[in-house]
Amino acid sequence: MTGVVKRFPGVVALGGVDLDVQRGEVHCLLGQNGAGKSTLIKVLAGVHEPNEGTIEWEGEQVTLSHPQAAMDLGVATMYQELDLVEGLSVAENIFLGHEQTRFGFSQRSAARREAAALLARLGHSEISPAAEVGTLSAASCQIVSMARALSLDAKLIIMDEPSAVLDAGEVSQLFRVIREITDQGVAVIYISHRLEEIREIGDRVTVLKDGRTVTTGLDAKTTPTQELIRHMTGRSIEYVFPPKPEVPAGEPLLRVEGLGRTGEFSGVSFDVHPGEVVGLAGLVGSGRSEVVETIFGARKATTGTVTVDGRLVRPGSVPAAVSAGIGLCPEERKSQALVLGASLASNISLASLARFSRAGLLDRDGENTSAEELLESLDVRPRGIHRESRTLSGGNQQKVVLARWLLRGCRVLLLDEPTRGVDVGARSEIYALIRRLTDDGVAVVVVSSEIPEVLGLSNRVLVLADRTVRHEGLADELDEHAVLDIILKGDAA
Amino acid sequence: MSADVTKVDQTPGDQAPDGGTGGGHDTSTQGPPVGGAPARAGGIAGFLGGPLGRNAGLVVALVLLIIVGIITAGDRFASPENALTILRLGSVIGVVSVGMTFVICGGGIDLSVGAIVALSSVWATTVATQTLAADFHWIVMVFAALAVGGVCGLVNGVLIAYGRIAPFIATLAMLAAARGLAEIIAKRRTQIIRDRDFITFFGGSVLGIPVLVILFAIVAVVGWILLNRTTFGRRTLAIGGNPEAARLAGIRVQRQTMYLYILLGIACGIAAVMIMARTTTGTSTHGTLYELDAIAAVVIGGTLLSGGRGTVVGTVLGVLIFTTLTNVFTLNNLDTSTQAVAKGAIIVAAVLLQQRVSRTRST
Amino acid sequence: MSASLPLTTKRIAFAAITLSAALVAAGCTSNEPATTPAASTQQPAGNAGSSNDAPGKKVVIGFSGPAADHGWLAAINNSALEEAKKHSDVELKAAEGTNDASLQISQIETFINDKVDAIVLLPTDGAALTEVATKAMQAGIPVINVDREFSSPFAARSTILGDNYGMGVSAGTYACQVVKEKNLTNPVIAEIAGIDALPLTQDRSKGFADALKACNQTVDNRVAAEFTVESGEKQASNLLQAAPKIDVLWNHDDDQGVGVMAALDQANRHEMAFIGGAGSANAMRWIQEGKMAATVIYPPTQAADGIKLARLIAQNKGLSDLVQVEVPKRIVLNAPVVTKDNVEQYLPLGFES
Repeated sequence: MTGVVKRFPGVVALGGVDLDVQRGEVHCLLGQNGAGKSTLIKVLAGVHEPNEGTIEWEGEQVTLSHPQAAMDLGVATMYQELDLVEGLSVAENIFLGHEQTRFGFSQRSAARREAAALLARLGHSEISPAAEVGTLSAASCQIVSMARALSLDAKLIIMDEPSAVLDAGEVSQLFRVIREITDQGVAVIYISHRLEEIREIGDRVTVLKDGRTVTTGLDAKTTPTQELIRHMTGRSIEYVFPPKPEVPAGEPLLRVEGLGRTGEFSGVSFDVHPGEVVGLAGLVGSGRSEVVETIFGARKATTGTVTVDGRLVRPGSVPAAVSAGIGLCPEERKSQALVLGASLASNISLASLARFSRAGLLDRDGENTSAEELLESLDVRPRGIHRESRTLSGGNQQKVVLARWLLRGCRVLLLDEPTRGVDVGARSEIYALIRRLTDDGVAVVVVSSEIPEVLGLSNRVLVLADRTVRHEGLADELDEHAVLDIILKGDAA
Repeated sequence: MSADVTKVDQTPGDQAPDGGTGGGHDTSTQGPPVGGAPARAGGIAGFLGGPLGRNAGLVVALVLLIIVGIITAGDRFASPENALTILRLGSVIGVVSVGMTFVICGGGIDLSVGAIVALSSVWATTVATQTLAADFHWIVMVFAALAVGGVCGLVNGVLIAYGRIAPFIATLAMLAAARGLAEIIAKRRTQIIRDRDFITFFGGSVLGIPVLVILFAIVAVVGWILLNRTTFGRRTLAIGGNPEAARLAGIRVQRQTMYLYILLGIACGIAAVMIMARTTTGTSTHGTLYELDAIAAVVIGGTLLSGGRGTVVGTVLGVLIFTTLTNVFTLNNLDTSTQAVAKGAIIVAAVLLQQRVSRTRST
Repeated sequence: MSASLPLTTKRIAFAAITLSAALVAAGCTSNEPATTPAASTQQPAGNAGSSNDAPGKKVVIGFSGPAADHGWLAAINNSALEEAKKHSDVELKAAEGTNDASLQISQIETFINDKVDAIVLLPTDGAALTEVATKAMQAGIPVINVDREFSSPFAARSTILGDNYGMGVSAGTYACQVVKEKNLTNPVIAEIAGIDALPLTQDRSKGFADALKACNQTVDNRVAAEFTVESGEKQASNLLQAAPKIDVLWNHDDDQGVGVMAALDQANRHEMAFIGGAGSANAMRWIQEGKMAATVIYPPTQAADGIKLARLIAQNKGLSDLVQVEVPKRIVLNAPVVTKDNVEQYLPLGFES
């Protein structure tokens, strides 16, 4: 494929990607979060149609207007978020969409036989084709997904982080299958954050950054790690981060000690002083969001404590966290933060309703006035307080969520991906806003997949990998390179 | 890399980074992305934004029905007595529908309302209750009905909010259980109310307006205030619109959910008192199919079945449309099958009209 | 007492079979048989003394009826159970009442497997139960069909029915009498039917209309309720608005009649001759109070009669008052009219709704 461009309203997810995959090779895709890997996969799978550029298949130009078109060509995709139907059996899932039928009746026993053969080929004959997918473990689901791709007789199989849920033994099993199918001439596009896997299974590497190809065709076995990381880092967009003032010494405002949740993360401890920003860096799945949600009480901690200003916060209770002065701007703005069909005013007042209650009656004038003031001070556009929040752009929606916690007057603010889906200009405004908050003595925790953002905003940085803290240090002493190194290799370089 | 690649460092059509001062945008920033809705235009939009405008489709439907009634039935339709009859007939289902508006706004559904009405009416008219009422005051019967309704609602609410049973399932169970219990208590008999004062009070009129209609009006007004002017209403809309967002804003979603079902249970208790007064009986067949009538009235009223948005005024209009429809048909001596067909047509027509109006409003 | 009413030709035609029904139900004629045969039909007290009642061979009778969610149906079930208790030679297997045809079919299948001596069946739906009843007959078990008729004559050994059409005729005939007595030139006649989709409602309405034709009258206003108090009140309220003045009002069902009466009271409209249907105790009390003109009985004792017939058939006996040695194939019960004149007689039989 050459010069593929994919634009979404407001963002350009892919801005020119070149990639060629040869028969029988394992082509690895590398890139940071948001580099455009997922979008690229979806373009290849026919989910998204590119706005520009061409895709060639065996020498002929093709258009993949819908997923079936891609499947017909022989492209099978194993998505990161598994796309299996839980209520159906293993065999039904494997053949979903291309059921073998005779006179319109599905051939159940034949399907089960073939499913069993495919699973055996993957070395997992213990999975029963008749079992319901909803009852299987994550790893088994991955195998089923793989069997599904094989059942399509695909010539190109795209695997998006297939090893994320597998243990070492299962990974080597997976690699054995990959080698087997590539020997038969099938091509594989393999996406993983684990460099050692790429070294082991990959033939060539393509690095994406900001939706573009940085370099392609690198040798997977011999290219030095430093060079790969260099290609992945140094994003083209430089944000302007406001200067960081000195953090006054003294008692910390937020203290997190030994926080853990079984199966999600463990041993997280850190302090945040008034006016300080602490950043949590890490890849998706490293437990970052889980940590802040647990601090906020949205998840109940199994170990450890959270204290604000020396007072213990009752675990597992959002109202307790809120009344202790903690606020959270969650990762998924639309599904977790905003009531999209409700007005800006009611979204802003949502956490402070008690303040506007006069014997149960809502003081709507007071509510509107406060909302008006906040919208103006945060420069939310368009500004109408009665406007539905769904009509705002990402950046302005984020400001509305921030306004909610400003109105509440919270002293500890947890920001999970504060600039995701936010355009360039609004980003700078949000950065400035965070600085304004810290100037007022608010303690801020920032989670972001974008390492430069974490480094630019924070005074101190915690690097999370494999569900625990790998490194803690001053932001000024780290750079993108070093952080990525810690994440990929598991230790500080 | 090919030549046709676009320049992508900046989002097309959007503002350039401007140094973080937060002030530098012109109005074009609302440009391309998600925020597509322009500001409301002028007077028409202003009218449509009002409560009448939001329900314009329903008002039109009701006016059409009234015109049809006047043309076909003349004075028999357009008399004060007939108007009061329509209101009186709509009052019982109206009270239930106002309660149902809250549950649906909060993202739930309650299929057990009819059964709760039946159980409350039966419990309030048992020999024991009536004897107590005779010794003390008929208000005992009223309290009995309200208490039974409230407790049924509490059970629904606890099962749904804390037991995490889907509202559809939990209230379906209540539907079966409450009506069954009503049959057991009443031994499938119709229990006649002996207390004439009870009948006289609720069957009477104040300033020419039947007490039942006044009760309905009070419930509707209180419902409107509760939904639109209180923090309770705001929380209801928030948990219906996005329960996760509400939870992460510190709202006690489970407790609020439970309150909504209790509220509806009490509304069912009020409806039971009203139906007892209307029919002078309590029986397990009271409230048959109320769940469907109430949900239909709420939904054609413009409340989102998925929650998050609701209107008490629309619900009241929805109830009045159905009641008027039955009245007009009876006055014209048309059979029930024809009525059923017309009812279906009205539901579709009102919803289509409503969608049209709201689309004009938001685009 | 049927003699006290003007009879249509049709009703005279029914007379013989009606009489037999009366005799069957009464079980004997020793108790004032000549003067009030129909009344004694309804009086359980009047069935002593027949040699048929002497204990005979022990018989097992299976009974299945609809769910008793209505006063009349409750009376049907209760009277059947009570009747069975009176006979020391009858062992009754009563299935739980249901409105689900498929459940009732499985109940009958169980009776067949248990090899009961006879089955008394009041089907939720006559047509739906015909198949299984035929199966029982083929297995040699006599089936007594009560109230709702099967669609095949081979499905029942004997059929005992209330007369829905006759009920309408009785009500219509009484209405004509009222019109004549009050000398009304252009009377407004209204009807509140039961559930319109049921054949029995259609039969009743047809009988009413046919009888009215005899005195050149028609139904001016008609609404249909649902056999519930609430629906009766609702339909009546609208009806009263539709017709500012009503001379005769026939309500098919005294259960829903409680609601109709509430609506009449509420609107203070008692100008009409209000005729009821089924014959509940409430209706009879209203007749005594003068709030209701009459009610047409739809006997709630059919199932009890069915039990008696089943016992006789299983014991190979006939009806002692018929010359014929076997139980008749088909019995249609009378639909007498209760008025102020004879209400005292019927009051003990009125069922509580």
